Amino acid sequence: MGAHAPCRLRALGMVNALGARPDEIWQGLLAGDQSRLTRREDLVPGRSLLVGEVRSPLPEIPTTLRRYRCRNNALSLAALFALEAELEAVIGEVGRGRVGVVMGTSTSGVSDAEAALRHNAAHGVLAPGFDYPQLEFGGAAGFVAAYLGSEGPVYTLSTACSSGARALASARSLLALGVCDAVVAGATDTLCGLTTNGFCALQAVSDELPNPMSANRKGLTLGEGSAILLVTREEGGIQLEGVGESSEAHHMSAPDPAGGGAESAMRGALRDAGLAPADITYVNLHGTGTPLNDAMESAAVVRVFGEEVPTSSTKALVGHTLGAAGAMEAGFCWMMLARASEGHVALLPHVWDGRRDTALARLRLVDKGERARVEGRVHLLTNSFGFGGNNCALVLGRELAC
Amino acid sequence: MRRWAAWAPGLADAEAWQAWAKEPRPIGCEGSPEARFLPPLLRRRCTALSRAMLQVAFEGCPAEERSEVRTVFASRHGENKESFPLFEAIAKGQPLSPAKFTHTVHNAQAGLFSIASGNRQASSSLSGERDTFASAFLEALTHLEREPTRSVLVVMGDVAIAPLFAPLLDESEAAYAVALLLSREGEGTKLGFELVPGTKERGAGGARPDLAWPQALEFVRWLHCERTPRLELGVGPRTFRWHRR
Repeated sequence: MGAHAPCRLRALGMVNALGARPDEIWQGLLAGDQSRLTRREDLVPGRSLLVGEVRSPLPEIPTTLRRYRCRNNALSLAALFALEAELEAVIGEVGRGRVGVVMGTSTSGVSDAEAALRHNAAHGVLAPGFDYPQLEFGGAAGFVAAYLGSEGPVYTLSTACSSGARALASARSLLALGVCDAVVAGATDTLCGLTTNGFCALQAVSDELPNPMSANRKGLTLGEGSAILLVTREEGGIQLEGVGESSEAHHMSAPDPAGGGAESAMRGALRDAGLAPADITYVNLHGTGTPLNDAMESAAVVRVFGEEVPTSSTKALVGHTLGAAGAMEAGFCWMMLARASEGHVALLPHVWDGRRDTALARLRLVDKGERARVEGRVHLLTNSFGFGGNNCALVLGRELAC
Repeated sequence: MRRWAAWAPGLADAEAWQAWAKEPRPIGCEGSPEARFLPPLLRRRCTALSRAMLQVAFEGCPAEERSEVRTVFASRHGENKESFPLFEAIAKGQPLSPAKFTHTVHNAQAGLFSIASGNRQASSSLSGERDTFASAFLEALTHLEREPTRSVLVVMGDVAIAPLFAPLLDESEAAYAVALLLSREGEGTKLGFELVPGTKERGAGGARPDLAWPQALEFVRWLHCERTPRLELGVGPRTFRWHRR
């Protein structure tokens, strides 16, 4: 490990198209279950859009916090419920004044603002109950902090698709700075008209099942959900070992085709963790399924790791949850590490049509049922590459008893 | 803090800010700087908020360092006003302009700065309700923690939000941008910063939730008041405290 203060990812709460319970989500991931991707007719005019929508019932936001009542925050609350026992224990230990909240989002409550505006168009007033904290980006962390009674630092990062990864990076630094003793860090995004129409306008969205890295890939499938981790300055357990960040100075909505920014983020994360490429057991790809992302990412991954490291894109199962994706996929790596035992870690399958694109660098894509044999410490890397050229790679690791 | 820059309507140079610091008054919502240094193609696409934030970012960071600093872009409202026509288009079932969508995301200014200055370093874009400025300062410290030898440029700005949402807002609106260049070592104003949980410890003249101008500009005012050793800001159940060292 690099020369860092410890940064333990102590507990995880998550909700996405695969479910709201960790075991349910884990089984869906291992099975490569794409059946939860469903169609919505109401998001983009004239288009039946395949999406990773959360179908689980969501908890109601308490009346005292109604200014924050929106779908995005209800998704966060669903993720927080899974964390409740650990959260109570940690808040009891360190006190509310020492608990920080850093969330990522690219949507906040935009879907509720859209509904409020539809109400305005029909009735001449915004929908009753609509309030500004539901819409503003800062409300994503503001809600979680208000719900927990946190008096530590509270802010929301919004760097498009790297927001969630960046929230974990900031959490680690806040702990290292001593500003707080625990951070509730994660990210949430909601399907809404703005992002679905926006990504369709950019011609980035596929009408078919997501098919990352395939010769037949036609773009991404949008999703929604929340992944929230409880982060503490403790040794042991699952650690956030490395953070690598970069910008691209290239284009507002397209990645550098050479993958320079992606490569620099991955190498930065390895350097930060004090690891060599060969130490990484698995790479969770950004893997959006757009022609450009997959071309540049496969090239960058092969340059850093060679062709042998197992990789997969879990976006084929839950969709691209945009601002939440970085935390979601760090959460998937967390689940892999939490469930690793007896010298083995189950790898997450890459679900696609198996038609290799010969124009892409050759990645080793994980098949269903694959496990990796590991000894001692196991390390996983996850990639997040955002709109506007904002990249973040994270390394998570854990000591395994053989 | 090695350097700072600020822009608001009618307040564009150091003298104007010094005069304002002596006799502060609420800030207007109209206008935006020209940001003539930007390449024409990029400038044409820039919103008022982007021009204001890029203007102070370029002024607040020496040319030779612009491609090297880490950056924190902060805005409470981001492109709320510019997003509004997109919401209307969606409500009417009209297609969105891809360029307009791209330029209204919250990290648009970070992307534009990266492109305009050839900067490939880490960059955060954030929002923190009424404590956005203090949160941006703290996020900058997290970058100094991750890479202690590199300077961090903090850029905070806002413009008026969409008129339909404005009555819901809990603070006065203003158009402005402020940039601070921070590093662990080197010349400049030596600052200490701490976050104090709770509101009880706020001293007299402490955090003022009722400021008639943005927190970031209260910070600029404090920079001019050299005999005031401390500044406290904060609206929620936490207080942000700066002092001169």
